Amino acid sequence: MDDTRQRILEATYACVARWGLAKTTVEDAAREANVSRATVYRNFPGGRDELLEAVVAWATLEFFARLYERVQGAESLEEVMERGIMFAHRSIVEHEVLQRVMQTEPEKLLPALTVESNRVRRGIAEFLVPFLEQRGVAAGVDLKEAADFLARMVLSYMSAPGRWDLDDPVQVAQLVRSELLAGVVSGAGPGGPGGPEARGSAR
Amino acid sequence: MVPEGATGTDPDRAAAGHLPADPGAGAETGSGRPDQTARHRVRIIDATLACLARHGTVKTTVDDIARQAGVSRATVYRVFPGGRDEMLAAVVDTEMARLFSALGVRLGEAVDLTEALVGGIVEASTRIRGHQALAYLVEHEPEMVLGHLAFDESDRLLTTASLFAAPFLARWMSPMEAGRVAEWATRIVLSYAIAPSTHMDLTDPARATHLVETFVLPGIGALHDSECTATIDITPFESPGHTDQTDPTPQADHTDHTDHTDHTDQGAMS
Repeated sequence: MDDTRQRILEATYACVARWGLAKTTVEDAAREANVSRATVYRNFPGGRDELLEAVVAWATLEFFARLYERVQGAESLEEVMERGIMFAHRSIVEHEVLQRVMQTEPEKLLPALTVESNRVRRGIAEFLVPFLEQRGVAAGVDLKEAADFLARMVLSYMSAPGRWDLDDPVQVAQLVRSELLAGVVSGAGPGGPGGPEARGSAR
Repeated sequence: MVPEGATGTDPDRAAAGHLPADPGAGAETGSGRPDQTARHRVRIIDATLACLARHGTVKTTVDDIARQAGVSRATVYRVFPGGRDEMLAAVVDTEMARLFSALGVRLGEAVDLTEALVGGIVEASTRIRGHQALAYLVEHEPEMVLGHLAFDESDRLLTTASLFAAPFLARWMSPMEAGRVAEWATRIVLSYAIAPSTHMDLTDPARATHLVETFVLPGIGALHDSECTATIDITPFESPGHTDQTDPTPQADHTDHTDHTDHTDQGAMS
């Protein structure tokens, strides 16, 4: 991404954080970025709508870039998923701008966020494939299908923890080894070679 | 008192099919009887659904609904004194009740766990996909639907659905495990309803069976396994913010979340 575009997006994000989506204009973004309105329009020919869509996409990408960093160095598929889910949950709960916009103008944010979630799902699935390949999927499990399933579930828990306390490492370990991986990889199920070890690290 | 709203008589809409005239509609003076009120209520709800499937919420007026239902405006307001907004809320509640009634039949008649899971997932997925009013809203007024599928609202939906389904599953597992599995199945239905997959069409019993056997049943085994070896508090969360995980009274505070929960959609988001 070139510098000007990046600067405009950061500026727009700052405006949204301050005033919300509905009240942020191209002019605000231009002033904040210290560029002319014409420059904003050159980068975002669709104007305000395109700019706001782009800023949601940008913020989502930033979020997953941090998530990606957080799971680097994880030694197993289980650890990748545990770290990722806990970090994502914390980040969403503590994401002030996201929480505020969700409170005040969800109808503005959600359509864009939904478009993003499809991209994100594919991104998570692609990210998981090498880990699944290395670990080896259970007999009869299709790799792509499993990656897609896991990505869907991860997104679901991220946005709505339900009964799971995703701040509790013990519960997250249990979640990962049951609802997420038990059917996907060999040895994660009960009685399999990963079973006792899994329970040990979940304690 | 009575909001007039737009009294537009769009010829297109007037020409659209109406329900046959209600034999009871002429004798509205006696319509305070509970059975008649119930009958009118259903007619009006169904008429509202038909209107929503054609025009969405913004362009549907009380007049449209009354005409579609073959009842007078007075009858509509007698059944729904709050007018359009109350009717829209009632539509959500009713559709949710219909979905749960159908799910209850499928879950109740299942003779084993696989049948219950597959039956429930297929039934819910099929009803969500075939819901024309929902499809219109997802296409033209997504903000009406999406709000119920994200973050805290999504948590409410998961709670409502899993509290409903858990007792059926508790025939084959502990109530705690049943709560977890019911919530998990709800997540699965919602995910594939929101973003349909060409490879995993959960309205197809064969595909749903494949998913259940491949991913869900082993997970249930692992859940059971870990429940036996770890003491984990899995009482239902207290609030959408799930700030209090230690609430010892399960299932007490969730009945008030039962509305607005059928806004699952079928895929305009993909």
